[in-house]
Amino acid sequence: MMSGSLLGALLLDLLWSAVAAVGFAMLFNVPRRWLAYCALMGAFGHGTRWLLMQGGTSIEIGTLLGALVVGFLGYGSGRRLRVPTAIFHIPGIIPLVPGRVAYEAMIGLLQVTTATSLTAQQTLLADFSVNVIRVGIMVAAIAIGIAIPRLLFDREPPVV
Amino acid sequence: MSLTYDELRETMELTLWAAQLLAQSGAEASVVERVVHRLGTGMGGDWLDVFLSPNAVTISISSGNEFRTRTRRIVAAPVNLTTLAEIAALSRRTKRLRLSREEIRAELQRVSAQAPVYNRWVIVGAIGLACGAFSQLFGGDGAALLIAWIAASGAMLMRQQLTRMYFNPILVTIVTAFVAGSIASVLALSGITATSRAALASSVLLLVPGVALINGAEDLIKGYVVTGLARAVQGGLISLAIAIGLLTAITVFGGQGL
Repeated sequence: MMSGSLLGALLLDLLWSAVAAVGFAMLFNVPRRWLAYCALMGAFGHGTRWLLMQGGTSIEIGTLLGALVVGFLGYGSGRRLRVPTAIFHIPGIIPLVPGRVAYEAMIGLLQVTTATSLTAQQTLLADFSVNVIRVGIMVAAIAIGIAIPRLLFDREPPVV
Repeated sequence: MSLTYDELRETMELTLWAAQLLAQSGAEASVVERVVHRLGTGMGGDWLDVFLSPNAVTISISSGNEFRTRTRRIVAAPVNLTTLAEIAALSRRTKRLRLSREEIRAELQRVSAQAPVYNRWVIVGAIGLACGAFSQLFGGDGAALLIAWIAASGAMLMRQQLTRMYFNPILVTIVTAFVAGSIASVLALSGITATSRAALASSVLLLVPGVALINGAEDLIKGYVVTGLARAVQGGLISLAIAIGLLTAITVFGGQGL
């Protein structure tokens, strides 16, 4: 059973993820009637990652599973409503974007250039590398997560 | 009944137009191929080969004993998922209802001339709020939400203005990130937030090349290596441009406390 504060935190996470997804959906000119779907995709995808991370899952695996949720929901909605899945997938994965980690990497790089001791430089460079690798893994996880439904269901013999 | 050589010309022109609109509005290669194929065969072509490259699209269309091939240039344009959805719907209708070439031309005309769904000020507010929402996902406090909202909205205004003046997209990204970073740094240094990193990190996210990176990865996975690599490189360059603009702003205004 979920405690009250945990449930409140989850609801806040869902709310902010939905706001982020809708903002970007508007930037990408998604028609009004699909905005609510984009909000749900964004909330469920990020909510999945948030819940998994509460349970101790790493952010990378959480991102993959969150993107899979967006992938399957978006694929199903696209099929059902006869709309290209990009309309749901692209805004839906926005909350999963590793912005914070990318920022830490950037700041790390800036600090390397001004660090004075060799040890400090080595530590900062190591931190920088780890953050860059994490950003790379998370971007790949997002792409794989939303590609998987189509790779599973849209199989066709090659045509020439 | 197969199409005559003259009918093929018009079919060619319309499918190329649709392919160009799709590619410019942010469709991945497999979607461009599938939708244009459906449109062209719906108009009576026997077969279409659609070849998407990063800056152009080439289509070969055949019907009976005749065939035609033509190339059209693709220019950079903002992502537009409404266009994508409407052309996909048009291709389905063409197949189902056997629309005439005149009807298809009129619909393509309408889609390419149509104004954006949201007014530019609405987008400024919404994308600002979306960046504010990110600051909350990154563990920021209420002040971080406000800082990110203001900084991202200001940056979005700058981006719209520079894009209207036809500045190079990489340059627009550097300047926009600098503006977002400067506003956020100045506000964060006033001491109103205890989570300045969350505020700064989220204030530039309006620039994230999400569509380029996602479509690039999808293209690569599905075997469209050339367009995939081109998009990945483009996404990488935009990310680098964000870093340059933001780091410059932090160096000028903030210092490393941020």
